[in-house]
This record gives sequence, C-alpha cells and structure tokens, in this order.
Amino acid sequence: MKDVRLKLKRKKTLAEGVLEFEFSSAEKLPQMHCGQFLHIKVGGEFLLRRPFCLYKYDDYSVTLIVAVVGGGTRRMAEMKEGDEVLAVLPIGNGFTLGAEHKKILLLGGGVGCAPLVSVPLTYPDKEYVSYIGFSTERAVMFKDEFAKFGSVTVCTDDGSAGRKGYVTDVLRQDIEKIKPDVILTCGNTPMLKAAARLSADTKIPAYMSGETRMGCGVGACLVCACAVKEKDGSIVHKRACVDGPVFRLEDVLL
Amino acid sequence: MTDTKNITPDTSVEICGVKFKNPVITASGTFGFGKEYAEFYDINLLGGICTKGITKERREGNPSPRVAETPMGMLNSVGLQNPGIEGFIKEDVPFLNTLGTVVIANVAGKTEEDYCYTVERASALDCVKMVELNISCPNVKAGGMAFGVLPESVEKITAAVKKHCSKPLMVKLSPNVANISDNARAAENGGADCLSLINTVSGMAIDWKSRKPILANVCGGLSGPAIKPIALKMVYETRKAVKIPVVGMGGIVTADDIMEFLVAGASAVQIGSANIFDPTAGLNLINELTNLMKRCSINSVREITGSLKI
Repeated sequence: MKDVRLKLKRKKTLAEGVLEFEFSSAEKLPQMHCGQFLHIKVGGEFLLRRPFCLYKYDDYSVTLIVAVVGGGTRRMAEMKEGDEVLAVLPIGNGFTLGAEHKKILLLGGGVGCAPLVSVPLTYPDKEYVSYIGFSTERAVMFKDEFAKFGSVTVCTDDGSAGRKGYVTDVLRQDIEKIKPDVILTCGNTPMLKAAARLSADTKIPAYMSGETRMGCGVGACLVCACAVKEKDGSIVHKRACVDGPVFRLEDVLL
Repeated sequence: MTDTKNITPDTSVEICGVKFKNPVITASGTFGFGKEYAEFYDINLLGGICTKGITKERREGNPSPRVAETPMGMLNSVGLQNPGIEGFIKEDVPFLNTLGTVVIANVAGKTEEDYCYTVERASALDCVKMVELNISCPNVKAGGMAFGVLPESVEKITAAVKKHCSKPLMVKLSPNVANISDNARAAENGGADCLSLINTVSGMAIDWKSRKPILANVCGGLSGPAIKPIALKMVYETRKAVKIPVVGMGGIVTADDIMEFLVAGASAVQIGSANIFDPTAGLNLINELTNLMKRCSINSVREITGSLKI
C-alpha cells in the first residue's frame, strides 16, 4: 500500500450518475491485482476517503467507475482533467483463482460489474462466461468490456434490453449448461443473497466483493467490519478493507 | 545573537518520567497496534503510540455500519473490538517489542476486576511504558463510559487499577460529563499519574429518508475537527483543576492545532481521526511541527505548554 498522487487524465459518463475516471501517475504504481481497491482523498469538506474498486490499471494509470451517490462522489464528478487527488493503493486481497478454476462465471449487478472486468487482466488463461444485470436499457454498461474475453448475457429487470428478469434468476436457468468451476460476483445485497442461494443449491463455490462504509482503509480503525462465519460456526468481524473486500460468499452474513 | 531559525527545535517532552522524542502520540483506536501504519512510514519517529483498547476477553465489537461522516468530523461505533489481552500479547507484542517509540497500552473493561486484571498484565510487559485507562468509550453498554461519568466512580476505578499498575497510569477522560474539572480532580485523587482528554463526544447521524440512524448501534462517538473547540476548553479547564500532566486531543489535523493544545495546557497531544483521513498524518504533523517551531523561533515545545495568557 502506498499513498500516491494521481492526476485525472480523462472522464466520461457511462450511464446516468455513473462515470469512468482514468487517472495517471508520474511515479510507477505498485503492483495491483484484480478485485483490489483504492482509497481516494476527495478533499474539501469530505474528511473520510472514498473507496473505489480497481476497474482497469497498468504501471502508470488506474481507471475507476464512480457512481454518484452522495456529496463525496458528487465532488469527484465535478473534477476536471488535470486535477489531482491522493489515493492509497492497492488495498485488500482481491479475487484469487486456483488451477482448479478453469471456467469462471462472472456475475455482476449494475456498477458492481466494475471489479469483475479486471479479473481476466490478472488471469488471462481462463475461460470466462459473464452474466450482468441492470434495471433497464439506459443503465446497461460494460457489455463490450465483458464481450472481449467471452460470452456475455445482459439482463434487465424490465426486459428493455437483453433477457428479462433478475440476472440471478436468468443464470439459474442456464447454470447446468454452463457448469462453471467458480462464480465471482459483486452487486447489491439482494443480488448477493440470490447468488448465495444459487451457489448453495448448485454446490458451485462463489466469491463476492463487498462494500461497506470505510474509515482508514488500511486495517487499523476497524469501522468496516464484515460479519463472517468461521469454520467452527462462530461469527467474527473481519475488516472489509484488508481482510476483504473479497470473501467466500457462503461465509458472509448478508 | 544566535539565529534561532538555524537551530533544530527541541521537540522532546517528559511525562511522569517517560521520555517522548516529540509530543505527537497516536490516539487509541485510530492506529491499531501500529503494524498497519508501519507500511507507510517509520513509526519510530512518533512520540508514542496508544494501542487499540484492550480488554480481558476478545471482543467482536458492534455490528456495521460503524462509521458515519458528519460536517468536519466522523462518528464511530466500533465497540472495542480487540483480540483480548492474551491475543494482544501473542499477536501484537512481538512487533511492539521491536519499536523505538513509547508504547501506551489502552485498557478497557466491563467490571473493576476486568480492568485490574488487564492493567496488571499489560503494565508488566516490557514494551509498555505507560497504561491509558479507558473509562470513556461511549460505544459499549457495560463498562467503558459507565465508569467515567460520575466523579466518584472515576476516583474508585482509578484507585483500584492504580494498585495493579506497575507503570505510570494515564486516565482518559470523557467529555460527556457534567463538569470536566470534577472528573479530572477525581482521577488525580484516585492516583492517576497523568490525564488524557478528550475521548469522543456522544453523537448521532440520521438518514431521514429511511427514518433510520446511520450507525447500527444508533449512537456513536464524534471526533475530528468539529470537536476541537470543546477539547481545547476541557484541556484548559483540566489544566487549571489538577497538578498532574495533561495530554490533549480532539480534532488535531495541523501543527497549529498541536500548538493550540500545548498553549491550553497540554504537555503532549494525541492524533486520532487524522490517522484515518491520512495514513501519513503522524509523520506529516511531526515535520510540520518542527518547521512551525523554526519559523516562529520556538526552541522547545516545553516552553509552550500552559502559556495561555488571559
């Protein structure tokens, strides 16, 4: 982890209230891994930093997806090209795949698709199948990104684009045919709960990237507690920042 | 005449016989047990480190969300999550043993017996140079602040713990009290060697649209620049009320803030929320303080303590 100065190189709107930010760094960035995140000092009246997953990255740049949900992200949305921010990166464990994981199912909901896009960057030699869900056609994002490394199925709640229905319900119809070795997922809590049921019913292991209100982002302050079930059945509080943000889906108390 | 701007200012302070290389101590609960920040800078440069609150048994703390951002501050409700004294000794003391800075063990408990037991164990450790008694945590139902509100209970718990403490005892005072001077005197009468204040101010944040509190525990402790004026007043009043040294904290984010606390009567300061806002805050503040002293031709931090003119 390092606190680095990033300069906004480019920003573009992906959907209503969702922006893509590409930052550059003058110094070489530390090695990053898919599913890790960074912690940005937004500045102004906002004292706490804001966590964002790594969307794309290389040695001198990092790209993020920002959903404008409150004052801090609104301030970020107002940033201009050339503006600078401090950011601690990279943070957390990220997604880890083993040799036994040959066929990977990426299951994303809305902006929750963002951390999944970098998985093939870290693990290029796997087979990928992606299912991504959105509320409606106007909200659909990332389709082309996922299409770069495998088949992608878009779902919308209202059927205005792709297949109609919740992405977890659509996936449930298809999963026997796909037979993935592992599911990697990120999205809102109802989606993660549905994914957990699917994983339990099909016995396909699943890992999720979580989100919670965060404090220091370096593992010291313990405000980002995530309730996780241990092997012996006891419930412990793990730090979403450095013990996570990726946890085994069945272990997390959603 | 000597040009004081070329002299390196003396930032060292001594509190109850313990020497600190500078008055910047990281506050309990914002710095873990040090390891996490060692990745960002040489934490041996700090004056001292106050550990996360340690209890007799391991504690899981409160449910999430445990944090809410508020204007110029933050609310937390961690609820003393910690590995317990045994876990601390096993997992954290080996690292603390390697440090060249003052380690202050912050101790909390549910009962007087818990406090005495944990203080005895913690103060016996070589790496621990001082014990900070946490009787001011607003985020636990039993213990914590329950011991720290009434002057009589402050005196009683301090006197009980003091018998088991083989190192200087610092009592951390709560601002959520009727009269800080009474509580400060009560701690002094109970045998405290020095005092630290303020712990967080009780507060609440609400999401009116969902009609719900933001913190799962409903209420929490407010920290950050928002509470600095409250903290300064209480340090000033405490300094007048007692003879023992006072360590000030509450919303320090700049070297000027440190100076204000010293002028109000603090012998040293603790840095809390600033560590959460910036992982290198401790180091930055030490450098800024030295530069500020040079610019203002101040030779020693000790000459600033209690220099308030009224």
